[in-house]
Amino acid sequence: MVLQTLLPGRLAAQFALLGGFGLLAGAVRPAAAQAPADTLRSQQLPAVRVSGLRPTHFAVGSRQLVLDSLALNNYRNGTLADALGARTAIYLKNYGPGQLSSISLRGTSARHTAVLWNGFNINLPSLGEADFALLPVNGTTQVEVQPGPAGATYGNGAVGGTVQLSAAANSPADWGRGWHGTVQGDYGSFGLGAGVATAGFSNQKIALRTSFNYRRANNDFPFYVGEGRGRVQQRQENAAFRQASFSQDATLRLGQRGELSIAVWLTDADRQIQPGIGTNNTNAQERDQSRRLTAGYRRVSTRREWAVRTAWFEDVINYRDDASGLSESTVRTSQAQAEHTWRLAPNASVRLGGEAQHFAAQVDGYGAAPRTENRYSGFLLLRYDPRPRLQLSLNLRQAVLPGRQPPLTPTAGAEWLALAAGRHALSLKGNASRSYRAPTLNERYWRPGGNPDLLPEESFGYEGGLAHTFKTTGLTLQNELTGYRQLVDNWVQWTPGASYWSPRNLRQVRAQGLEASSTLGWQPGAYRLTARGSYAFTSTEKTQGTAVDADPVGRQLPFVPRHTVALSTDNAWRGWQLGTTLTYTGHRYTDASATDFLPGYLLLNASVGRTLALAPTWQLLVLAQGFNLTDNNYQNYQNRALPGRNASFSLRLLWR
Amino acid sequence: MKSFSTLASLPGRLLLGSAAALTLLACDPDNDPNPGPAPVVTNSVFVINEGNFGRSNADISLFSKASNSVINKSLFASVNKMPLGDVAQSMAVRDSLGYIVVNNSNKLEVVSLFKFKSKATVKDLKLPRYFVAASSDKGYVTETVSYTTTFGQVSVIDLKTNQVTRSIAVGKQPEQLVVVGSRLYVTNNGDNTVTVINTTTDVVEGTITVGDGPNSVVADRNGRVWVLNSGKIVYNPNPTRLSKGSLSQIVPGQLTATTREMPSDQSSPGNLTINGSLDQLYYTYLGGVYTLGINEATLPTQPLIKRGGFYGLGVDPQDGTIYGGLASFSSADKVIRFKSTGAAIDSFTVLAGPNGFVFY
Repeated sequence: MVLQTLLPGRLAAQFALLGGFGLLAGAVRPAAAQAPADTLRSQQLPAVRVSGLRPTHFAVGSRQLVLDSLALNNYRNGTLADALGARTAIYLKNYGPGQLSSISLRGTSARHTAVLWNGFNINLPSLGEADFALLPVNGTTQVEVQPGPAGATYGNGAVGGTVQLSAAANSPADWGRGWHGTVQGDYGSFGLGAGVATAGFSNQKIALRTSFNYRRANNDFPFYVGEGRGRVQQRQENAAFRQASFSQDATLRLGQRGELSIAVWLTDADRQIQPGIGTNNTNAQERDQSRRLTAGYRRVSTRREWAVRTAWFEDVINYRDDASGLSESTVRTSQAQAEHTWRLAPNASVRLGGEAQHFAAQVDGYGAAPRTENRYSGFLLLRYDPRPRLQLSLNLRQAVLPGRQPPLTPTAGAEWLALAAGRHALSLKGNASRSYRAPTLNERYWRPGGNPDLLPEESFGYEGGLAHTFKTTGLTLQNELTGYRQLVDNWVQWTPGASYWSPRNLRQVRAQGLEASSTLGWQPGAYRLTARGSYAFTSTEKTQGTAVDADPVGRQLPFVPRHTVALSTDNAWRGWQLGTTLTYTGHRYTDASATDFLPGYLLLNASVGRTLALAPTWQLLVLAQGFNLTDNNYQNYQNRALPGRNASFSLRLLWR
Repeated sequence: MKSFSTLASLPGRLLLGSAAALTLLACDPDNDPNPGPAPVVTNSVFVINEGNFGRSNADISLFSKASNSVINKSLFASVNKMPLGDVAQSMAVRDSLGYIVVNNSNKLEVVSLFKFKSKATVKDLKLPRYFVAASSDKGYVTETVSYTTTFGQVSVIDLKTNQVTRSIAVGKQPEQLVVVGSRLYVTNNGDNTVTVINTTTDVVEGTITVGDGPNSVVADRNGRVWVLNSGKIVYNPNPTRLSKGSLSQIVPGQLTATTREMPSDQSSPGNLTINGSLDQLYYTYLGGVYTLGINEATLPTQPLIKRGGFYGLGVDPQDGTIYGGLASFSSADKVIRFKSTGAAIDSFTVLAGPNGFVFY
């Protein structure tokens, strides 16, 4: 287990030497931390300074997908939608390049994924979901995806899964690096231009990281409509965008035990809204701005740990088109979290905490008066490893919402290292969880139709899996297979009424499926290969509904592909790098009766690059990337055009 | 009744349901001084599937009365090898042509009813809603223009060239329209008015005050114009509530209406429709279908059809069979058929959002 988890870190370090990614390698999470279920970790850490326990410590028996800085490397100028779409079998519903990208984890909707930044939920309170096209990769150093329900651990909306973004200095490698910096420029098809600048400093006392990026594109790409002889080429209109992001992280060590951290993340996107094929271009335009600030203090000792954190977010969505005019929305969220952890023994820990959220919404759609709402929750997380090879966790959370209350949500997980013989290690894992999703502000307050009597959605799910590792000196192979099943109750959908649409608790939905993944690391001398393959089978169906729910039972939900595959390779040799990603997205029904569908499609992307040493501390990476290399004419969402073959060219200057 | 004789030369195919463009043939029922329509024979039902906003999946489904089945669910796309467009709001018939108003594609698609081949496209309309033909040469289409402006418009279309010849400013969010004689009556859904336009000069003759939110209009056998008003949404401040809907009647030539208020504020009446002999009105209300004769003094309190919640409503002019379109906009939606007594017959599946029916 330990060796297995050390590998990515070591690979990154070697890659840094070979390829010159020394800067970014420093941001890789420490090897030990990559195995949330690794009990030996706390004992192995140097006695000088004790690290705090990450939330994943209490998520035993869950599958974790980690996109570290190595995996994120080629997406520095992109968004999380780009990185997750190419590197994982996760389906993102996408309305065009740079347009709304909503995640679907384990067959649920975007509202069923909790997106956390430094521990705080950043889903837009009005919509209850995050647009992954508005989350630039450069603002984060690591992305962790935990599919499956975990409401006790991560709170509201962790039904289909949780995406955790972190940027703070949280690993030993982030300290004592001195000054470092990166500058990158990109130029690409359809008016793509982008730039990114990152600078940082750390000694043993303070760690700072600043990053800025800007990205624009005209997206006036050609696409085809019609069939056969009637096929005509059109050029996409009204799909240009520009977006900028700034992030600042600072961590200050106060004595041996205390740590003060602040983080600022500002994002600003000005997008034309791409009209669907055959629909009226109303010159729709949307401005999305998010301002996120957090500050926290934690104190860690060998026996106990406590932390307080506070956050203030402001999310602005201003939409305008010729048909409806301007619609403005500003939601300010103030949050506080406090937790205390007791390390009762090396193999047992308890965390008790609570959080409070206050939402203040000034949204045109809610009427002139501002709307406010408070939500609270308290949680208790337990982790106990009765045997060195057996880990258990039990978490509880009770949320307090305005109106109707969700139930107590527990999560229980177990992981057992069943076999550790020679080069093979085999773990068995499993967990069961109840989760909830609070009604969004739009669902409660939108006029007309907002339904203040909506019940929170509730879910119960469980999963089981195998994790296998095979390791020799030059080769590491990790395989994982997970099966899951979940029932989501009180599933909310907007439905037409006699005069207006209204959200209602309509039905129960069952999501079940299989996830398989393999990662191969191979290093015969100077050449190094990392290959990943993942496959997901997702079956999501309505199982029962209320009398007003017209959708049939037993049919795959619309816009949930049954099959998704992602294959990727990263090859490195003496300063050269070659990367490929191939994804397959199966057919997706466009109606709940599962009659009409969008065909499945393959997408092949590749990149080739060379790192040149300019001076002892200066390196230059020249990178060319090609997208949709087979020039597929395909649709992800119904009648939203996507570009054919296209390319980008990047220059990255790295200092230290 | 000179107005009717001008219309009497038109073919006896008529459209009911959403568009309510009426073409009338003379007949002489017993003891009725007014010439009513001749009995008509219909073979096919075109179901207008609105589709999901922004997804360009609107289409027309063809239902055959002979086989009692849907012959083609996506008639336009399968014949023309291209999608119809985004949000099919309505369809009207003139001679052997169908006029499909595709709201969020800003166009009027002209098809031959024989094979459903696209014959012409009137483009660059401004959020068009409903179409009516006044003659074989001239048609009118209502256009929202924008939801933020105070004035919508009616564009005049030359049906020989399929070009817009002029646009006439009317009230806010004009919806259904009907021609009676040489007058065009336009319901202004965003206001509480009906605009009257002279079809010879295309000049506005006047504005008639009706109830809040007029949404549908038909003409009866006496040439009277019936306007159904949805009421409007009132924020109080929450939860959302409605003002009462109403039914208005306009006597031709007059610029006034008599309006009767609906009993409940819990629902918006909609989909005013008339039968083949043009003497029985139908509308959706309180989740059901209500009906009243044109000479009845009071509004009905009991529904003809209790269940439903129909998004689209149509009455076959040949036999009075009632078609109700259920719209979830989520699954493949259903149409339920009822005898004129209100007894259910059967149902069939179409596409998303069946909002109206054309009998041909």
